[in-house]
Amino acid sequence: MSSALYDEIQTIAAQYPERRSAIMPALRLAQEKFGWLSPEALREVADALDVTPAYCAAIASFYDMFHLEPVGRHMVEVCTNISCALVGAQQVLEAFESELGIEAGQTTEDGRFTLRTVECAGGCGWGTVVSVDHRYREPVKPEDVPGIVEELRSAAD
Amino acid sequence: MPPTRKAKHKLLFAQAEGRDLTRLPEYERVGGYESLKKALKMERSAVVDELLAANLRGRGGAGFPTGRKASFLPKPGDTPKPIYLVANADESEPGTFKDREIMARIPHMFIEGIVIAAHAIGASAAFIYLRGEYLREFEIVRDALEEARHAGLAGPNVLGSGWDLTIVIHRGAGAYICGEETALLESLEGKRGQPRSKPPFPAISGVYESPTLINNVETLATVPKIIELGGKKYAKLGVENSTGTRVFSLSGNVANGGNYEVELGTSLRELIYDIGGGIPGGRELKAIIPGGSSVPVLTAAEVDTPLDFDSMARAGTMLGSGAVIVMDDRCCMVQLGLRVAQFYMHESCGKCTPCREGTRWMVSILRKIEEGEASQGELDLLLNVCDRILGNCLCPLGDAAAMPVASYVARFRAEYQRHIDEGGCPFDGDSTLDHVMAPVDQHHARVRSEIEVPA
Amino acid sequence: MSSPELVTVTIDGRDIQVPKGHGMIEAALEAGIEIPVFCYEPRLGGPIGACRMCLCEVEGMPKLQAACTMTAQDGLALSTAQTSAKAAEGQNAVLEFILLNHPLDCPDCDKGGECPLQDLTFRWGPGATRMRFPKRTFDKPIPVSPLIALDRERCILCYRCTRFSETVAEDGQLVAVARGASSIITTFQDEPYRAHFSGNVLELCPVGALTSTTYRFRARPWEIQNVPTVCGLCPVGCNVWATTREDKVARILSRNHGEVHEGWLCDKGRFAYAHLRAEDRISLPRRRVRRRGFEPVSWDEALDEAERALREAGGPVVVAFSGGETVEHAAALARLVREGLGGGSALLPETFHPTLDRFRAPLSAIRDADLCIVLGDEPVVERAPIVDLWLRAARRGGAEVATLNPAGTVSLPPGSAAWAAAQLQSESAAPELRPLARKLKEAERVALVWSEDDPSGGAHLAALADAVGVKASAYFLPRTPNGRGVAEAWGQPGETPTGEIGALIVSGDEAAADPRARELAERARFVLTTSMFESDLTLWANVVVPGTSYLERDGTTVNLEGRPQRQRRAVTPPSEDELVFFAALARRFGVEIDPWPGMLPDDHAPLPRPADQNGPVSAPKARAATSRSGKGLALVRYSALFSGAAVERVPQLQFQRPYPEIELAHPDAAARGISTGDSVTVSSNGTSKTLTARVNRRLREGVARIASEHAEGLENRVEVAGG
Ligand SMILES: Cc1cc2nc3c(=O)[nH]c(=O)nc-3n(C[C@H](O)[C@H](O)[C@H](O)COP(=O)(O)O)c2cc1C
Ligand code: SF4
Ligand code: FES
Repeated sequence: MSSALYDEIQTIAAQYPERRSAIMPALRLAQEKFGWLSPEALREVADALDVTPAYCAAIASFYDMFHLEPVGRHMVEVCTNISCALVGAQQVLEAFESELGIEAGQTTEDGRFTLRTVECAGGCGWGTVVSVDHRYREPVKPEDVPGIVEELRSAAD
Repeated sequence: MPPTRKAKHKLLFAQAEGRDLTRLPEYERVGGYESLKKALKMERSAVVDELLAANLRGRGGAGFPTGRKASFLPKPGDTPKPIYLVANADESEPGTFKDREIMARIPHMFIEGIVIAAHAIGASAAFIYLRGEYLREFEIVRDALEEARHAGLAGPNVLGSGWDLTIVIHRGAGAYICGEETALLESLEGKRGQPRSKPPFPAISGVYESPTLINNVETLATVPKIIELGGKKYAKLGVENSTGTRVFSLSGNVANGGNYEVELGTSLRELIYDIGGGIPGGRELKAIIPGGSSVPVLTAAEVDTPLDFDSMARAGTMLGSGAVIVMDDRCCMVQLGLRVAQFYMHESCGKCTPCREGTRWMVSILRKIEEGEASQGELDLLLNVCDRILGNCLCPLGDAAAMPVASYVARFRAEYQRHIDEGGCPFDGDSTLDHVMAPVDQHHARVRSEIEVPA
Repeated sequence: MSSPELVTVTIDGRDIQVPKGHGMIEAALEAGIEIPVFCYEPRLGGPIGACRMCLCEVEGMPKLQAACTMTAQDGLALSTAQTSAKAAEGQNAVLEFILLNHPLDCPDCDKGGECPLQDLTFRWGPGATRMRFPKRTFDKPIPVSPLIALDRERCILCYRCTRFSETVAEDGQLVAVARGASSIITTFQDEPYRAHFSGNVLELCPVGALTSTTYRFRARPWEIQNVPTVCGLCPVGCNVWATTREDKVARILSRNHGEVHEGWLCDKGRFAYAHLRAEDRISLPRRRVRRRGFEPVSWDEALDEAERALREAGGPVVVAFSGGETVEHAAALARLVREGLGGGSALLPETFHPTLDRFRAPLSAIRDADLCIVLGDEPVVERAPIVDLWLRAARRGGAEVATLNPAGTVSLPPGSAAWAAAQLQSESAAPELRPLARKLKEAERVALVWSEDDPSGGAHLAALADAVGVKASAYFLPRTPNGRGVAEAWGQPGETPTGEIGALIVSGDEAAADPRARELAERARFVLTTSMFESDLTLWANVVVPGTSYLERDGTTVNLEGRPQRQRRAVTPPSEDELVFFAALARRFGVEIDPWPGMLPDDHAPLPRPADQNGPVSAPKARAATSRSGKGLALVRYSALFSGAAVERVPQLQFQRPYPEIELAHPDAAARGISTGDSVTVSSNGTSKTLTARVNRRLREGVARIASEHAEGLENRVEVAGG
């Protein structure tokens, strides 16, 4: 048990009238630390907040941004909701698929990239919206994709 | 985020052009936090009276009068419990991105609105439930809040009044349903974001079983302007029953997508053509979703409908979240139905039966229609399933799936019929929404989806 | 108390008067109208309105409303599917949605015949499905634990089971994961659902999704009989139905007694019945021949042998009781010994303080208290499991529940209960108890619970209750199911003789396991045991008579509240029960005892009123304990609920037995470089054991805790070292 994570979670919990409210920020912290919410990560959060690991799994699995399976070090998310789809999101997605050699929902074998589609990202007027490591790029056209992938490949992990 | 283009009657964004209002000094230079100072000198009830006089209606979707909602809360002396304010910044209605721009460009106006509203109800703490994906906006609001705290505009002893207001930013983690107010409260309490049965309403028993006022970002950001102008003067903007301005999110097949703040009552035509630059590529307007994906669709013929609550209701639809999605003639309405249904299936929280099972069923039928394998009976079945969801769910999400899809069939019946008659999609692969990969269909990186998605 | 305001509501045109705020499902039932429900279960807390099965039309509301979420208000007019076409359509819609993904495997579903979904489908459901797509499929059934199987295809996501786990038992182990149509019920990483009350989800599940592995495919509903009786495995005395088939117990279901257990059962009460058919069950009487051998004897020969030995005893007679005997059984022994044998003494399993009856109240009163104080080092849930649920219910209702022990909300050294009770009565309480003492003064209703073995515990508790006054109710948690009834039936225990003993009667298996009885046996010329199973003492005894279980005999048992309850014979024992034996034996000494109990309490027994007595209550002086004396850690041991002869004989219950682990306080573990899961050596005075460490952040520094079954041979202070 890393006592740093434990202590950080205690600090967050103190902000709320009830400690349980800290579960989402605590899971986010644990995910940043472990890369994903492994059973071990869930156990640590559970211990810090005095809930069960099962409870942590119940919460984590409800939200799309928590990963209960390992994901790549870079996360590429393409919005394919209507507004983006109307202006070519599927073509952008396919450009990423061919550039990365994986399908939506998959992670590259080297563990560097996860590609997935997401529901409306909230940049509809500037579609297609692509979130790269949680920073929005908008608008992205299919022809921008090789450059983005190249940029990520050359960046240190 | 590309800059927002000039629109006509700006109120919230009036001074944001060419200025960095994310910085406190700049915001104060254009009169920022003057409304707060004014409000703190007013009785709580007088602040609520201004909101009532302004006839401000919620900008989150339901359009409930804000002043009335605030007046449902018990007075601070009349309840042993603390009173809370919650800002709904979970913006995730498809097509909507206005709250994001408000937080990114005028965060202090949003914070000022929070402090004024918290004063009006006597809150001791406020929570900003901020959509998890909005990382940059979180950073901006967080920094602005820090500035405001340093300046004594929030936190302990606000402006020397002796009143303490703690403001906590609570980040979401990707669940559309958490925009629904009671699901949001559950999520804020550290539970699964599933809606609660009402009553009790949040005004009586909200977060931590305490009286809670929940308002949308734009609603709260409008509050300082109402205090500045006075409710009566604000009410002169817009039209009857739909006062003031609204930030409309314009997207889809339109030349200049973006957020535009205009007076309520402006017509769809003006927004789409005069402000948005019309339909690009010489295509024709086919359909408009006027208030986010949860509302019924309008046809091109209805483009003159004014953007206000009553006119939209008369046209059989709703102003919703103010997200105007424009579709040109390349859009297959069956694919639209399928993609919208897929969204709601993905976002159904799983608590109540009709929504959980019904949205999945809708997706199955729509896919069959799109693939040209549905019988006539199945088109009727689709409408019947929509009908059986409508009004029977715990929260409005089920309705939000059934209503728009039923409207697509109603207004574009011939197109649905062609899919059945011709045994396939008449667009033959040329529709803009052809084979779009929806998150429900992809292999999930979260819990392995054990449901078998009908092929 | 003022009675609540009555209001008139109209249901399907019928006006009825109910208290304001009354649930509408109940109101309808009172009017004789059944509104179908799945998720609604008031014992799980407020309604959640999830399944939508109860949709009704309400006057003045445009949409159908979930009746389960509505409460009675004056003038409320509600129409159910029986009179409203709109409600009927809504209900049909919901039923169709529920059945969309529900498999049609009713013929081989264990719930068949007692399934609400099957009944509703039969009554109102669609004749054919309109769904032309594959149903959701899952591997099925999967074990949720060795006791519970889960068939996810049948699950209708009513969230009853998960709400029970989260909000009633508060074990947080059975949860729903994922979202929407992908939601499933699960445990963490498919680990077994290991919790004291897990079996309740079997009765809560309205479909055949959660079924009992011990009952699956054992019986069909029309082949069984349900016998009302009372559980005899702990002092709570939950009311149960024993389901029998072909004179065998097939399962135990709860029979709701709202004052005692609100229909919940612990897993021991629900599943331990299988020990009745354990292979090593003693089913024939026997007697010792020569030094080491035994021979089976007939019932009459056993009586002859016992009669002969008792006539020749020539020394004092002692009876060692288990505390699980019926009142009638204990009374028969008392008469045999006093009237037939000229007197004797008894070894009673526990001591009761009669003054406690002044503060008698039903267990449900705990829930209504605003302050609960639990004294003693043994976890309540291990001693009297249901009391733990009542305390949790009290806390959920806003009460403060103060636990005073080394891992409690008020951390005290082990052995502090008596001292704490005294401090709470004093004007100047010790600093750590001062806030609680103040709350005790201010509280309006107080529940006091004593949870450990201490012969003067009852006196300490009574003295505290007396000081608190009329607003107090007091619950002394005995260790045995009917120790109190036995003690009262016997009367004065008398002095245990020193020196040679003429005859020792060891009544039941717990007495046979009592080291005090063992010590007496060594001094006894003649030993007679009545036992279900073999033990050191049955091997020692001159005559062994088969013992029976609480499911095999009729009689009265008195629970910890002081409520006399009726146990019934659900199945036939291997041979006659103890009462018959001792009545026959007594007759040979000229004492007439009815071998069939006469007047028995009701099947839904009331609690006698609090005793009307006055006078001072005195308790022995108590001194402060300290955990800092001596080297090493102070050891607290507790007898676990899932220990003992019955549990040991049920294979499916083995996973519930206490882990061979030692709980350590965080600072003690840190100082020794030990983390949870590490293997550690625990030693004291020559005995050494290897146990797994578990760090408990609530446990007080300097204290370690081990379940008794893993603490054998250890003294009260132990050394702990990492591996
Ligand atoms: C499914 C669903 C999603 C919603 N999402 C949002 C949202 O993202 N942001 C928001 O402000 N309101 C959302 N709402 C509306 C809220 O429930 C609530 O009405 C609103 O926050 C009240 O604020 P207002 O009165 O200022 O509009 C949603 C409602 C539903 C039913
Ligand atoms: S397993 Fe049974 S009790 Fe649990 S949610 Fe499913 S149907 Fe309800
Ligand atoms: S019983 Fe009312 S919604 Fe389930």
